[in-house]
Amino acid sequence: MHLQIRRLSKAYGTAWALRDIDLQLGSGECIALLGPNGAGKTTLIKTLAGLVRPTSGEILLDGVKHSGETARRIGIGILAPGDHLYDQLTAEENLKLFLALYGGDKRAPIGDALASAGLADWAHEYVGAFSSGMKCRLSIAKWRLLDPRLLLVDEPYGVLDGAGVKLLESYLSDVCRSGGLVVIATHDVGRAAALCSRAVILKRGRVVFDEAKHASWDSFFCAVGEFAPRGEAWPS
Amino acid sequence: MAFLRQAAWLLWKDLLLELRRRESLIAMFFFGALLLFIFNFALDVERAKATEMAPGLLWLAVVFCGTLGLMQLFQPERENHCLEALLIAPVDRAAIFVAKACFNLLLMALVEIVVFPLYWVLFSVTAWDRLPLVFLYGLLGTVGFSVLGTLFSALTLSARGREILLPLLILPLIIPIVLATIRGMDAILRNAELAESLPWLNMLIAFDVIFLTAGILVFDWVVET
Amino acid sequence: MATKELKRSRGILGSLTLVFIAVGLYFGLVKAPPDANQGDLQRIMYLHIPSILTAYLSFFIVFVGSCMYLWKREQRDDILARSAAEIGVVFTALTIIEGSIWGRPTWGVWWTWDARLTLTAILLIIFAGYLMLRSLIEDEERGAVAGAVLGIIGFLDIPLIHMSVYWWRTLHQPPSILRPDKAPWENVHPAMLTALALNFVAFMLLYFYLLSLRIRVGESEAKAQRAVLEGTA
Repeated sequence: MHLQIRRLSKAYGTAWALRDIDLQLGSGECIALLGPNGAGKTTLIKTLAGLVRPTSGEILLDGVKHSGETARRIGIGILAPGDHLYDQLTAEENLKLFLALYGGDKRAPIGDALASAGLADWAHEYVGAFSSGMKCRLSIAKWRLLDPRLLLVDEPYGVLDGAGVKLLESYLSDVCRSGGLVVIATHDVGRAAALCSRAVILKRGRVVFDEAKHASWDSFFCAVGEFAPRGEAWPS
Repeated sequence: MAFLRQAAWLLWKDLLLELRRRESLIAMFFFGALLLFIFNFALDVERAKATEMAPGLLWLAVVFCGTLGLMQLFQPERENHCLEALLIAPVDRAAIFVAKACFNLLLMALVEIVVFPLYWVLFSVTAWDRLPLVFLYGLLGTVGFSVLGTLFSALTLSARGREILLPLLILPLIIPIVLATIRGMDAILRNAELAESLPWLNMLIAFDVIFLTAGILVFDWVVET
Repeated sequence: MATKELKRSRGILGSLTLVFIAVGLYFGLVKAPPDANQGDLQRIMYLHIPSILTAYLSFFIVFVGSCMYLWKREQRDDILARSAAEIGVVFTALTIIEGSIWGRPTWGVWWTWDARLTLTAILLIIFAGYLMLRSLIEDEERGAVAGAVLGIIGFLDIPLIHMSVYWWRTLHQPPSILRPDKAPWENVHPAMLTALALNFVAFMLLYFYLLSLRIRVGESEAKAQRAVLEGTA
């Protein structure tokens, strides 16, 4: 799978959310999408998911114009903590519902998925009663079952505990290793630098930095550090 | 096949949510019953005229209850941005539309099952044998109402003042349905010949089919972006 | 250069409109003979019929613009649809007012639930709803899409409403004073036809003149917005 973003722009009213974005994303990559608030990270994620129609420019998926249609065909996951789960369904019912909608195997190990996310005891509780961290874990279990080829993660770190972060990162690594593509929008530069193979920094809707981690560690660190929120831990 | 299976799952989900949220059905039911009382005060419905007035009053109650239901129709999808989750899933948009319309139809049908006989009781209508046919017309009218209502409920999701806008858009558009339903019911209740009520029945079915087709065709655009 | 030409042709259109309105009024008010039954009252038809035809044309343009917008996603199609809807609402309201003025002395009432009147009123409500919808959705693109969907459904609904209302009125009530299938006058004097045709042309010219003005406003708005966008970029 290869995503080619060409001169992608999105305007809301009289303000640009994205401006002339050019990016090439390929299978197996794990990309950190960094940048201050209002940089356009969420808009870019929604555009990649086919939920937002670009004002101009285009995204090519394996050479074919990308839209909501193609997004649904390849299977795109959005992992946004607290989102995309029905509060009045139990954890198990949520997974069952989405599994059915994705045409998944009926005998898929829902119980195992819940157990691996540490939610075995809460399988029959309503999601509305869950904490944000638990909802995030449930989302991880959900996407593990549905197995999307492109996984878009929106600010996952704030709500997860240590074990939750481990769970998330091991899952994201699995997706990349199996040829999937992961994009994580986050403010936690430290975690992103440790996990991801490439960083893209947005500022006011433009790409101001885009480099693979191994290419030039120094510039990567400097650039990332420049946009890092104050007081954030920085790995040495 | 996949279409029906997905629609069925979505309908099941909506029913389960309604069972647990209890947002729509009970309110709709009480509102419907309340309206019958209000009609009595406002119009002083006499026994002799109750049968004659039944189609209009019943349909008014249906439309008001239905509008109430439409306001809540997409509420579960708004919370936690669940509509996005459905839109990125490999689900036919038409399945989302049909499931929602069916869910709304089901709620309204449940309300009608209670409110129609209640009218018969409260206003001493004697034509109990006509009730099933009246109900049939009501149901067919409700199909059209649900289809258009679902479409515009989704269309106005991002609009300000949605609660006012929604009935304002739907009520004029469903006039063909209203007329066919009320006239059909009227013919049934007057014990008119089949030749008088049948054209309205045919018309009603035709309108339902037209609106359903149009709804399925445009729903893709309604939920896009 | 192109804008200059456009401006000049708009000016010509405007002057032509003025001339035809004057000629139309002259023919309608002076040249055409008074109606055998209704006398001078019938002269309002020279405005009434052209204005409802113009309104219908307008809603057809809304429909076409809406379809084009959903298909091609060009902003100009949306501007066309929205402009036509606004002017259409004005002409529909005008028609109803003229009808009332004519109806009061003729039928003795300002309003009657005649099939055509009812249909016209519903038309007004639907497209007033369109304008409301457009003004209540903040996001430009979403509003355009929602408007296009309503423009299409609303237009396609017109024949259905027409059919049901007409059947209702003919099936259950004696034909009203104004028979929908019969013109209000029986023997049409050629001078009457001329007056009607002239006024029809005048209304068409007026309509397209107003439409071109409204489209220019829409395009200027879009241009201003683009300029702000480019400026902040």
